Amino acid sequence: MTEETTNQYNAMDDDEFRAMVHTFYVENYPQELRFSPHRMHWDEIGDWYLTLSKQGWLTPAWPAEYGGMGLDANKLLIFMDVGESYGVGRTPDMGITMVGPLLIQHGSQQQKDHYLPKILAGEYIWCQGYSEPGAGSDLASLQTSAVRDGDHYVVNGHKTWTTLAMDANMIFMLVRTNKEGKKQEGITFLLVPLDTPGITVRPIINLGMHDEFAEVFFDDVKVPVANVVGGENKGWTIAKALLGHERIFIGSPKFAILAMSRLKSMAKSVGLFDDPIFVERYTRLQLDIEDLFATYKRFVEVLKRGGNIGPEVSMLKIWNTETQQRVTELMMEAASEHGGIQGGIETEEGLVRAAGEFIGSRPSTIYGGSNEVQRNILAKAVLRLPG
Amino acid sequence: MEDISLQSRIDVLTEQQVLIQDSAVAFIAQDEELKKTRESRFVQPGYDQQTWQEMAELGWLGFLIPEQYGGIGLGFDDLHPVLIQLGKGLLPAPFVATAVVAASVLVNCDNEAIKKDRLPALVSGAWKPALAWQETQGQMSVEAEQLRIVDGKLSGKKAFVPDAGGADDFIVSAGGDKGTELYLVNKGATGLTIDYEQRIDGGFYARLSFDQVDVGELLAGTDRAEQVLESALDEGRVAASVELLGVMTRSLEITVDYLNQRVQFDKPIGSFQAIQHKTVDLFILSEISRSVVLQTIALLDGDASAHDRAVGASQVKARCGDAALQITKSAIQLHGGIGYTDEANIGLYLKKAMYLASWLGNATAHRARYAELTL
Ligand SMILES: Cc1cc2nc3c(=O)[nH]c(=O)nc-3n(C[C@H](O)[C@H](O)[C@H](O)COP(=O)(O)OP(=O)(O)OC[C@H]3O[C@@H](n4cnc5c(N)ncnc54)[C@H](O)[C@@H]3O)c2cc1C
Repeated sequence: MTEETTNQYNAMDDDEFRAMVHTFYVENYPQELRFSPHRMHWDEIGDWYLTLSKQGWLTPAWPAEYGGMGLDANKLLIFMDVGESYGVGRTPDMGITMVGPLLIQHGSQQQKDHYLPKILAGEYIWCQGYSEPGAGSDLASLQTSAVRDGDHYVVNGHKTWTTLAMDANMIFMLVRTNKEGKKQEGITFLLVPLDTPGITVRPIINLGMHDEFAEVFFDDVKVPVANVVGGENKGWTIAKALLGHERIFIGSPKFAILAMSRLKSMAKSVGLFDDPIFVERYTRLQLDIEDLFATYKRFVEVLKRGGNIGPEVSMLKIWNTETQQRVTELMMEAASEHGGIQGGIETEEGLVRAAGEFIGSRPSTIYGGSNEVQRNILAKAVLRLPG
Repeated sequence: MEDISLQSRIDVLTEQQVLIQDSAVAFIAQDEELKKTRESRFVQPGYDQQTWQEMAELGWLGFLIPEQYGGIGLGFDDLHPVLIQLGKGLLPAPFVATAVVAASVLVNCDNEAIKKDRLPALVSGAWKPALAWQETQGQMSVEAEQLRIVDGKLSGKKAFVPDAGGADDFIVSAGGDKGTELYLVNKGATGLTIDYEQRIDGGFYARLSFDQVDVGELLAGTDRAEQVLESALDEGRVAASVELLGVMTRSLEITVDYLNQRVQFDKPIGSFQAIQHKTVDLFILSEISRSVVLQTIALLDGDASAHDRAVGASQVKARCGDAALQITKSAIQLHGGIGYTDEANIGLYLKKAMYLASWLGNATAHRARYAELTL
């Protein structure tokens, strides 16, 4: 995307911009993939990734100089709102939301030149290898080791809950390069091609009965030293910067809007808007989302001003994910017996699977740093409570 | 697994209840890993026939059926320890739908010949009826509107019939000129088609379509049909609530166990105060539910009016439906990533709660009914 197009987008009237984005979705996004009940695999959503790539709309938040849309906070929100309301599915977007922004900030020139175009072109699809069976909330206790051997590391260990690892060809991961001293100071950030010999991916079936995440095993895997981002034993700092990106992503009203739009379709179809009690509960949730919008904008403005977002970003994640869950809980209650069925309720916008939505909204309070951990962070780092 | 409920601390069980509880505990202990529960998921009939037969041998299917029809004639006070264990063990068997709801309709119906013939077969496990009363989503009234009787033939649809795959006959409510009647219709009757819908817990609901189906045997006429239905459904709501109590209790036990085992930051996660408070709140919810369950089964066993039973049934279903969902969904959260896998058993408890909480009226519907009955 050129600087010029970016300026043009940002200068557009909001409604005009909204209409443009909507039209593009209507014309290009496959009907049958609207409101997918599960996170789609590459064989389902890959074409859409490439369509966005061609359009230059894959990376709305990246700066124009790196091939992004460079949208300002307001346009970014509209962009997202239109997509979620239309039921546009999530692509395997870890390169877009995480690796790209991280490399833009912390990567070497060589790394930027190599990886960013390949993300934009859909050549590199990423997954995130942080968690291990013994290291979840306590991520710093991770054990997967990388031992230096000349210009390579030899990696051994076991990552788990790796979302869409089966679709990715690259993994960005945290490994232990030093077992002495403070746990956080012996961690390195590595970029690893998944076709490297010694890597095995084993899918895990999730609660929605879908193979959305996986375990990844590393058995004497050779990784070039050049694949380190930010320097040996500096991985924790890098990971923390990245978690900031992840949390602002999970904190965006995306999930809540999507859930709300499903609830609305269902409510229309079942006639719930005639019930004043339902309308009160619905409106309460709608305002929870509107007010999150207002808060999210404040945070995004900070980034646009070139500022840094600190631990306070945790509040966005908590509010978004818990609002999303409250929406799906109301959806399930309002669906009566359909709250206990796999299938869905027919609506103008396709099937709404209330039970599936309810289950699908469970993990957002677990991943990306659980909400309990986010509350700990807010208590200690923002409120500066003791302990 | 350690029993963390207050039962052993503050409640008194009769000798008979203790015996029944012990045998139920031993029964579910045979499949502590929930292998059978998993095997029967999403495969017709959605439950395990052998388990059903074993329950018959233990006499459970006849608990609520009078001795003159081959049953044991006990009350909910003696049945409730069984129901709790069924919930704890996620037993793949349509106990409440068949041995409580359908059995209650038959026991209270007016067709003596059918009772003498079929109830002993229900008790022995040889015959299973399923009740088809519901027509629309969220329906609470027992009046049959959509399924009509015209010239001795049934036409129309029924929905949300649980566990119909293994049933032999359907008890069907149908509307005629003068009101609702109840019939026993053979599953193989001409003109009857059955579609199945997968439930979230791995069982099935059926949709029945009747096209000029012979009415079969009359069970209750317009004078009593609605009353018989209402009372059977209320018993079902209470029984489902007791099962939900078992579901929530075991999921809490599993969770407390996990909080003791799982170490992060060099400590068991159960040592974090945020976790402790959350878990204590869940515990309180489960005991509040237990209190309502105990109160309601006493009500059903006593001589309360139909109105008071309905109020009690709605009170207990509203509480247990909400509490079970709250506890099982929090159990997922407290387990972290492992909780969101199909592999871990804790998720099966959430799904059972989702089914039982939404069957026969969810908490919202029962609060509305409670208000209607009491305000
Ligand atoms: C759907 C899904 C997708 C995921 N995708 C990825 C991925 O792509 N890549 C990746 O690396 N990881 C991924 N994860 C893993 C995720 O980041 C971890 O599940 C998360 O960090 C929690 O770790 P855990 O599962 O080990 O739970 P635990 O850390 O064991 O936590 C269990 C419970 O204890 C609580 N707890 C822990 N410590 C504290 C404390 N100090 N105070 C209060 N409460 C505490 C937690 O909040 C939680 O409720 C994913 C997880 C899920 C569910």
